[in-house]
Amino acid sequence: MEELEPGLWQVTTRYDDNLFSAQVMLDVRFPTLDIVRADLTVRRDVLRLAKDSTISAENLIGIRIGPGMTQIVRGIFEGSSGSNRLTDLTLEAMEMLINALTVPELRKAVNAGGVALDREKEDSQISLNDKVIGGDMVELMAQNPRLKDSCAAFSGLLEKASSK
Amino acid sequence: MLAYSRTISVGVQKQGEDRRVVSGILEDELYAMAIELAIHWPTLTIEALQTRMKRFTTARCPLAESVFAQAAGWKLGLDLDGKIKKELGRKGCRHMATLMIECCRNLVRAEFSREFISAREKDQDIDAGAFVDRFYSRYPDLKGYLRLQ
Repeated sequence: MEELEPGLWQVTTRYDDNLFSAQVMLDVRFPTLDIVRADLTVRRDVLRLAKDSTISAENLIGIRIGPGMTQIVRGIFEGSSGSNRLTDLTLEAMEMLINALTVPELRKAVNAGGVALDREKEDSQISLNDKVIGGDMVELMAQNPRLKDSCAAFSGLLEKASSK
Repeated sequence: MLAYSRTISVGVQKQGEDRRVVSGILEDELYAMAIELAIHWPTLTIEALQTRMKRFTTARCPLAESVFAQAAGWKLGLDLDGKIKKELGRKGCRHMATLMIECCRNLVRAEFSREFISAREKDQDIDAGAFVDRFYSRYPDLKGYLRLQ
C-alpha cells in the first residue's frame, strides 16, 4: 500500500502461480475510503478461463471499503461476466487497506503499553518480538468495539480457548 | 513511499501417492507466521498441521497455535474457508486463518496444475474446460472450491 499524495492511497495485490498471474490495483480516497480508480490485469491465464475484467473494474469505482464490501464486490464480479479469482484479489486488496489502517493504532499501543515477551515461553533462540502489547493495554483496547470484533486477542476468546 | 506490505508464500510437496505437504508463510511489518499441513490426497483430509506465531502484537497471540490444532481431520471443500474463518480465525488468529485458507486452496491448484501440465504434454490441443470438468468429476468436493475463473 502506497500513499500517492495526501489523502490518496494505492493498494496493489498480486497473485502468481504457474497457470495464472494477475494484479489488482485500487486507488482509494482517504478518509472516506471510496475507490476512485480500479485496474484489474490478468497477466497470464494458461487455462483461459478468467473472464473479461474491464466491466468489473469500472463498477468498482465509488465503492466504499468497509462493512458490506464483500457482498457488493461478489455481486459485481460473480455474475455471468465475472471472475472469481479477481473477486478474491480485489477483496484481498480491500482487506489489506484495513490492515494497513490498524498498523499505526497497534504500533501506538506497543509504544504506550508494550512489555518484553517472557522469553522462557518461547522455544526459539531468536525472538522476532522486541515488545508486545501487554495485558493491561489489551484490556483497554478490547473496550474499543471495532478492535474487539477484529481479533481474538482483544475479544478474550484466546484466553477462553487456552483455559479449556 | 510504501506504507504497508504483506507477502504470503505457499509451497507444495508431493510425498508419495497419497500425501501432500503444504508450507506457508505470511509476513508483514507487524506479523510473521508459518503453517505446515499434511493432507491425505485421495480423501482430501487434513491429517496433521502445525502453526507457529513468529512475530505478533500481543502476548496472547501465541495461544492461537492450540486453536488451529483442532483442524486435524477437516476436509478440503466448499465449506472449508468459512469453517477456518469462523472456528480458527475468530477464535484464534485471523491472519493465520488467511494463511491457512491460501495454503489449502493453493494445494488444490498445484495438484490441478500438475495434472493439467502432464496431460498437456501428451496432448498440446487439450480442451482446458473439459479437463476441468473431468477433474471435478473425480473430486466433486472441489467444485466451487478451486476457483479457476
